[in-house]
Amino acid sequence: MEILKFFWTLFYINLFTIGGGFVMLPLLQREIVDHYHWLTNKEFIDSVAIGQVTPGPLTIMNVFIGYKIFGLWGALGAVICTYLPSIVIVTIVSYYYLQFKTSRIVNSSLKGIRPAVIGLLAAVALTLGKTSLVDMPTAAIAVGSFSIIAFTKLDATFVIIGAGLISMLIN
Amino acid sequence: MQEAFFRADAKTKEIFLVFLKIGALAFGGVYSILTFFERELVKKRKWLRHDEFVESVVIGQLTPGAPIVNTGIFIGYTLNKLRGALATVVGLVLPSFVMVLIMAYIYIKYKEIALLKAILKGVGAAVVGLITSVVYSMSRNILKDYKSITFAVIAFICLAVFKLNPIVLIITAAIAGFLLYGRSAEWKS
Repeated sequence: MEILKFFWTLFYINLFTIGGGFVMLPLLQREIVDHYHWLTNKEFIDSVAIGQVTPGPLTIMNVFIGYKIFGLWGALGAVICTYLPSIVIVTIVSYYYLQFKTSRIVNSSLKGIRPAVIGLLAAVALTLGKTSLVDMPTAAIAVGSFSIIAFTKLDATFVIIGAGLISMLIN
Repeated sequence: MQEAFFRADAKTKEIFLVFLKIGALAFGGVYSILTFFERELVKKRKWLRHDEFVESVVIGQLTPGAPIVNTGIFIGYTLNKLRGALATVVGLVLPSFVMVLIMAYIYIKYKEIALLKAILKGVGAAVVGLITSVVYSMSRNILKDYKSITFAVIAFICLAVFKLNPIVLIITAAIAGFLLYGRSAEWKS
């Protein structure tokens, strides 16, 4: 019944997280890596990379995680559990969207959530950095990719592919 | 603005094909996909006006899940109710679903090969840089006063040092946000 725990994990994370794929990383990492030990930190990073280099949303990385742990059924269940909460909630919101957008409760809560998410994501970067940055070249790639993505308009997809190629040539 | 929504003048199959195209071609994350949305839906097909498109983007960001998928669902729903919504999700997700499956297969089969190991070593480092850059750009937009900085620092310490559950932290932040901003006029900003 491990697979049901996995589906439930994806379902509630997608049901509760506002702000997109990156915001989900702290929650996913805690459940998938720290709690259930389904993946190592290294494999978790690889799944983020695959979610990033494919077109569409980053959350498609859940399909990779599902396939890696449970095979094809894991992948199929992952895609359903990732997008079903969106279908249900957005369909309901589509009815009431004006009230929703100007809601005092929604907006004031989001004012608290947004900065907290930054702190959570910084903590994840720290954890994953300990796993991935093992020598001078990897540290240089991390600093380089940060600078390129933060300060130029170049797409993150190309930066990740470029980093893979550079690393292939060095090793 | 509200009356313009719910036109329901696009066929389900047509909606599916447009979103399938976007889902297959929109490499490069949120901004790339939004550019595709704008070009295909607003400019080429005139299914939405620009102001409606902006509202769809806002809805996508205020609802749980992947914002671009949510924006798609909202647009699909306004075009053809539930069938339109389902057509957009399947169209958007199907191409990357297939690509991820292929990559996962290759990853598991060839993981021990030195070449792939070397590539993944660099990729892993780049992902750390990528996440840090997201932290950086979000900070510049959101951490504007001492209150928001305090929220961020407390959340960071709670996760990095005390390993508290992120869901509990986000819910706590929501309640604190409501208590702090809910009664004044600040929530509108």
